[in-house]
Amino acid sequence: MSEIHSDSLEYYISPGCSGSSSGSADQPYTSLSEAFEKLPEKLVELNDGNTGRKIELVCIASPGVQTKPPKKAKHRFYVDTKAGGVDGQGTELAPWADLVTGFKHLKDQTDQGRLDLKPGQKIRVTMREVFTSTDQESLRSGRELIARVSFGIMAWSLVVPIFAILGYLVYKAAPSLNLDFLLTNPKDGMTAGGIWTPLLGTFMLVLISLAIAAPIGILAGVYLNEYAGDNWFTRVINLAVINLAGVPSIVHGLFGVGAFVLFMKMGVSLLAASCTIAVMTLPVIITSTKEALAAVPMAFREACWNLGATRWQTIRTIVLPNSIAGILTGVILQVARAAGETAPILFTGVTYYVIVSDDWSDKLTAFGLNDSFMALSNHLFKLASNVKGVPDSILYGTAVVLIALVLVVNSISVLFRLYLRSRKKW
Amino acid sequence: MSQAPTQPAPDPRRRKPVVPMLLDKSEPFVQTMIRLCGWSAILFVLAIFFFVFKEALPVLNDLDLGEFFTSDQWRPTSEVKEQFGIFALLAGTLSVTALAMLIAVPLGLGAAVYVSEFASPKVKESLKIIIELLAAIPSVVWGFIGMAVLAPIIKTQLGTSDGVNILNGGIILALMSIPIIVSVGEDALRAVPDSYREAAIALGASRWEVVAKVLFPAAKSGLLAAVLLGVGRAIGETMAVLMATGHKPMTPGSIFDPVQTLTATIAAELGEVFQGGTHYRVLFLIGIVLFVITFIVNLTADIVVKGIKGKTNE
Repeated sequence: MSEIHSDSLEYYISPGCSGSSSGSADQPYTSLSEAFEKLPEKLVELNDGNTGRKIELVCIASPGVQTKPPKKAKHRFYVDTKAGGVDGQGTELAPWADLVTGFKHLKDQTDQGRLDLKPGQKIRVTMREVFTSTDQESLRSGRELIARVSFGIMAWSLVVPIFAILGYLVYKAAPSLNLDFLLTNPKDGMTAGGIWTPLLGTFMLVLISLAIAAPIGILAGVYLNEYAGDNWFTRVINLAVINLAGVPSIVHGLFGVGAFVLFMKMGVSLLAASCTIAVMTLPVIITSTKEALAAVPMAFREACWNLGATRWQTIRTIVLPNSIAGILTGVILQVARAAGETAPILFTGVTYYVIVSDDWSDKLTAFGLNDSFMALSNHLFKLASNVKGVPDSILYGTAVVLIALVLVVNSISVLFRLYLRSRKKW
Repeated sequence: MSQAPTQPAPDPRRRKPVVPMLLDKSEPFVQTMIRLCGWSAILFVLAIFFFVFKEALPVLNDLDLGEFFTSDQWRPTSEVKEQFGIFALLAGTLSVTALAMLIAVPLGLGAAVYVSEFASPKVKESLKIIIELLAAIPSVVWGFIGMAVLAPIIKTQLGTSDGVNILNGGIILALMSIPIIVSVGEDALRAVPDSYREAAIALGASRWEVVAKVLFPAAKSGLLAAVLLGVGRAIGETMAVLMATGHKPMTPGSIFDPVQTLTATIAAELGEVFQGGTHYRVLFLIGIVLFVITFIVNLTADIVVKGIKGKTNE
């Protein structure tokens, strides 16, 4: 009786055949009615302690034909010796109390002609366990799993290729990733040497644009969160901030040409480019300052006002100290954004190549406010699209340094935020 | 006066009274500054429109606007007859943006659902950080990835004559706009009150049913805003499409054709034009077109978002 230990017991019928019948494939029952009559004797000992079994009745065309039994049962019935009631229907929700009753019901139904089996079909009677999920439940948990996995794949499919690409870039850049690469000027029509001058240009661009954007942005954030009332004018300002953030970077570049280079007569210079970048990154600082200030509980301000402090005193002594870290997060994000932008500076200040001698005093003061300058982002663009014969390592090295610069700055901002959240006092 | 009133014990490191007095005296000045800076955003948006328009204005006299928008002949440097029709450029921008959205919207929203509803807190936190870092990668780097990594793959795998085309630009733009779709979409899903989820779960809904039948309907305007912001970013993107789309001014017939977008046109040609010439001014006019398109897209997104906020307040 080895078959008792498997999860499902299979018996066979073959309508119309003759001969002795034991339910095996070689000697199938001759009709459903006979099967339901004889099966209980075979199975009666299963009533106790054999829950979880499935009894399957497969219909085959003729005795001994080895066909693969169908996966899906045409009819499914359930028996539950613990939870089944006398008025069981054999369904999942109202199972029969034991096999004998079950098969009696089945035989009745067959005799009335309501149950029929053609070759290749099967009937399944499941002995339910107390807490097994119903078919409906397992179907749903299956769907749930599919949903979870497919959404997970969607999320991770964004992340994995990016890491692969970054890894590839680093691999290609590896030969030139050293300190010398950072500290030497580009040479021989940019096909040799390092990236010191563009790197310096990017640093200066970031610093000057930060010096312009940070005060305006932070004060604007203070205005929007602390001073502005809830009226149409504030809404217009907020809308302007959103749209400023949404203006395409190349349009910022056009604005820089029109306003700073031509109208204010700054010429194509570091200053004009910095101003353009400052306007472009202003929304980043405004938005994060506003959010940082909004996170300071109103009760702090009210307590301060109640002591007779003015609005400015409250902001200075209570609101700003409690939100300075959040504000800095925004400032750092601005730095990352400014370092990577190309389009706004293309026509306002950046240039293809500036000759700088290898002397360190020259290398440190390569660009004045009114000079055009080199920037890392534009350098990468030109190397990739205009210059012929650039060794891969320099090309990829420039890209990797630019990515690293931006990611490091951004990671600082992320770490900063995590640190802040961990020590939040209210 | 200068003591922080919320602190019960006076902090010995508190500043000496002289500086605070000066700072207090400066209140009127500081308030004026704060107000001016607060209004600066409006000023800058107007200034952008004004200055770009100012450079473009003279060309409106001798340019047929109907032809400008409907002609696909972009021959700004032709010796015979200069022609400025931006139809092909508009088609370029739209095709690349559409393909990018086709990829980015399902992936981005799917990732937003995963981050917001399925991921464990740890996975959620790290995914959010990674996606935020993705958003920080500069567009010129994306363009470089398109040129140096994606183009050879497309060329060898699909056998196209050139690896830089709509497909390349679309994939790169999709990767660039996914972070914004994920983060705004996740915000929108998080804005759905937990009581909705609890009620649905109490009725026996599975997590997937909660997402499909409760969260999507409840957060649909926020998700729409996420998509719109992604569109805005894709339309305005410059360096990546300049490098990855092949940059040829023709109306595309298939996704393997190279195209030229509005933004890339400005970036590629402004450096080589005679300042004050027709070509120069037309490029600024294209800038105005871009400004108006993104303005409308962003405005719509904002109205849609304000729509949900109004509803949840009820």
